[in-house]
Order: sequence, then C-alpha cells, then structure tokens
Amino acid sequence: MTLSTKRPGSRPPTPIPAGNGSNGQRNSVVLGPRDRLVGQLYIEGNLRVSGTVDGELEATGDIEIAGGGKVSGAVTAYERLVVGSQASLIGGNVRVARLTVEDGATFTGKVTMGKPAIEPPKPPEPERQPLPAAVVVAEPVKPIEQKVAPVQRKVAPIRQKVAPVQQKGKRR
Amino acid sequence: MDVQEAVAEGTASVENGEVKRDGRKQFSMGAGDILEGKLIYDGSLHADGRVEGEVRVSGNIDVASGANVKALLEGANVTLKGTVEGQVTAHDKLTLGKNARLSGDIVVRRLQIDDGATLNGHVRMGDVEHQASGQ
Repeated sequence: MTLSTKRPGSRPPTPIPAGNGSNGQRNSVVLGPRDRLVGQLYIEGNLRVSGTVDGELEATGDIEIAGGGKVSGAVTAYERLVVGSQASLIGGNVRVARLTVEDGATFTGKVTMGKPAIEPPKPPEPERQPLPAAVVVAEPVKPIEQKVAPVQRKVAPIRQKVAPVQQKGKRR
Repeated sequence: MDVQEAVAEGTASVENGEVKRDGRKQFSMGAGDILEGKLIYDGSLHADGRVEGEVRVSGNIDVASGANVKALLEGANVTLKGTVEGQVTAHDKLTLGKNARLSGDIVVRRLQIDDGATLNGHVRMGDVEHQASGQ
C-alpha cells in the first residue's frame, strides 16, 4: 500500500498549525520503530521517525530521525533536521535550515542549507504553470485575425472597378 | 577516535625544530599565516589564517574557527571550525563544529555535524579509498 499526501503546493498552508496537543504546541507526528511509510509525507509541524521511511518527507518544523530510524529519500525540514547516532538517512536531497548529525549516524546525500534555500510560499507556483501554457495556445489565433483583414481590403477595390463599367453603359 | 583524542589532549614536544604531538609531526599555522599551493605532509595539520590549494596529510586536519580555507582537504580525522570551500576527505571521521561553514563534497567514514554548522554539498559515506597523493 502506498501512502501519499498532496504536496504542500496543492493547498494553502494552514495559517495556524493544526495543533493536536492540549498545550497549544505545534503539531507533532511520530513514526514508531515498527511503523513503515512508503510514499510522500508533508507535516505542518514536527516529525519524529524511528521506523522505516521509503519516500519523501517534508515538515514545516523539525524532523528527527531517531533510534534505529531509516529514511531513504528526500528530506526537507524548514527548521531543523537531526540524524541520531543509530539512525540512517540515505540517498536523498536534504534541504534544511539547521542540521545535526550525531557521530555514528549513516548519512548520504546532497545537503542544501541556509534559510534562503527554503521558501515555503514557493510550492504554489507549479500549479499556476498551466495558465501560461493556455496563453501560449491563444497566441497563434491573433495572426489568423490579421490575415482576415487584408482580404476585406481587397474586396473594396473590386467594387470600385465595377462602378466605372456601369457609368460607361449609361453613356451609351 | 583514539587518534582524534590524541590530537586534542596530546602533549607537544619539539625535536629537531619540528613540533611533535605524541610522536607525530604537527604542521601548525597561526592566524596570520598563508599557505598557497599543494601540501603533502606525513603528520597532522593545524590550519589557521588562509589556505588555498590542496592539502593531503597522513594525520589529522584541524581548521581553526577564524581560518579561511579554499582547498581540497584529505586526512584521517578532519575537524572544521572555520570556513572551508572545497572537497573534504576524511579516512576516519569528519567533524563540523557549531561555527563551521563547509561548501564542498564530503567523503567520510564517520560524520558528526554539530548544531549551528552550515553544510552545502554532497555527502558520501563508507570506506574511503586512499587517493593518489603523489600526483
């Protein structure tokens, strides 16, 4: 079974993180040691993984890969990523603002760091891309209209030629 | 790990004009020192000031917090506290301190990144092959 959630760009981020804690803290999701996720996961809040993930993770808060957690795939944390001493993160692009890798962790992949690298408002842009495509389709229509106009102009001179013929007939 | 601790806690001695720590040679730079070019050294390096080029040592490399390094670095244990631009190879362990800034690809056996460090580059982990240092 594949568990897949929509990318953040497909819906506007909730202004107030949907808190499930009674103390008003940000949303927090935990994947335990026996849990397994295959697919994509987007969390508005923090994510703690001590199970197995084969896919993409994205969280607006922190992501912690703890215990014997194993993640294969891209990881994006708008705040902090922690890879524990017995955890592994393999193969994916890692985009984070802050990064901690504990000694003993297995860590492979491309790392991009720094606040400018992560801009949460950006994901909606790909949805707007179909609109420019529609405009491109409309452009070829304009040249067709322009071709029609010259045809009408050609008709007018023909009428002018006809008129002199009638005048000649009247004279006879 | 034993080797790394030896650098941090080892006692220094001077023999024949060479600074040695626990019997290993130590190439030690100061904050105003500049190294440009290629250094192949049988011992450890404490890099400070400015380093540009290529550094391959058999021992450890320690980049000080104020150092500015634009070089390929290869050593047993590599500890970064300053700014480094270039590929880093650690035959054992690479440590990025909290003020370290590294832009470059990494090949390491073990990796530790402290909170506050900045890393931009590709990380490959596993046994590190000895690269031809004589070239």
